[in-house]
Amino acid sequence: MSPGMRHSVVRGAGLLLTIAYASAIGWIYARQPTSAAQVSGGLASLIHAYHVDPQAFDDGVRFFHQDQFEPARAALARADPAQRDARTQFYIAYTFYRQGWGRVHTDAALYQQGLQAIDRAIASAPGGRVIVDDPQIQMHSGDELRAELARGITHPIHPLDLFGTRK
Amino acid sequence: MTPLREAIVLPLLFLTVVLLAGLRPAGGATFVPPGLFALVLAALLMAALVRSGALAPERLMAPSRGILANANGACVVIAAWAAAAQLLALVTPDSGLPLFFVSVFLFVLLLNTWVSRPDRVHALRSLMVILGACFVLKFVVLAALSDPAGGRTKRALMALFDAATLGGITQPAQPGTAGYLAFGAIVLFLAGVSGLPARRDDTTTLVVSR
Repeated sequence: MSPGMRHSVVRGAGLLLTIAYASAIGWIYARQPTSAAQVSGGLASLIHAYHVDPQAFDDGVRFFHQDQFEPARAALARADPAQRDARTQFYIAYTFYRQGWGRVHTDAALYQQGLQAIDRAIASAPGGRVIVDDPQIQMHSGDELRAELARGITHPIHPLDLFGTRK
Repeated sequence: MTPLREAIVLPLLFLTVVLLAGLRPAGGATFVPPGLFALVLAALLMAALVRSGALAPERLMAPSRGILANANGACVVIAAWAAAAQLLALVTPDSGLPLFFVSVFLFVLLLNTWVSRPDRVHALRSLMVILGACFVLKFVVLAALSDPAGGRTKRALMALFDAATLGGITQPAQPGTAGYLAFGAIVLFLAGVSGLPARRDDTTTLVVSR
């Protein structure tokens, strides 16, 4: 390889490297990741290389269906450490909804965490549309779940809704 | 300057400074972009570097260079400016009277450096002193004054000091890592600035050619 050609290769590689590094830094500033897993997952998702752990996800959903919410969240968090998967974040939000639900009173703190999770799900979903096909839940869309969580936060005490059911 | 230094080493060095200097480890890691005033200070610093000959932009971007070489040069200049902005924002105290006085101090000092047109060596020394002084003020002096873990005597003195300055001195407490990160960022930045292509001394060239 001639020196001129070698210089061009170095310059081209340097330019690509610089653009990639600057994009990664821009992403970090925009997204403000709080853990190394979020950084690596977020950067992997930029090149469509991020995947959730299917085994941990299945475990999480199984725990969720058995109303074991804390183990479910632990497994789901393990499945999606970067908090980039809409479906996983939807289930995490749902665990907060079901755990915080009460006939006359909802747990606003849990609902608040659920709201954060569903917002992450909506932000990660293509077009912001989250649809989960699960016959064991009654709310299948992210918008529906978000509205329910927001209502629980603004009206944590609802004695007139005594005969309401948990969805 | 070799293509390796221009295309890879300098941009990555300055971008690393942008990353390190923006990191605030207090209360969970967050990345804080520089304020508008820091951008102005960084522009002044770049102007001072060009005027002193520590940075020769014509050696980075010129019509005689190819597109790729000019793109590399532009990356160096932009990354250096971003790193300067982020670093100046980092060494400026966060609030109160120290923020005001250090901002004015930096502005006047950089303006003075720009106007007085020092040579490259003096400009780099001056930059090292400016950054070093601000670092010591923020991460050593003010951090020690704002440390909540001080003894009873220190707390009493601080209370008196704070009352005398209407609460304008105390800064948010910083974890120990913040100082180390800042120190690393300053060292990297100074290394990057000293590696920038300097203006060739025309007088020396003339004497040698004669």
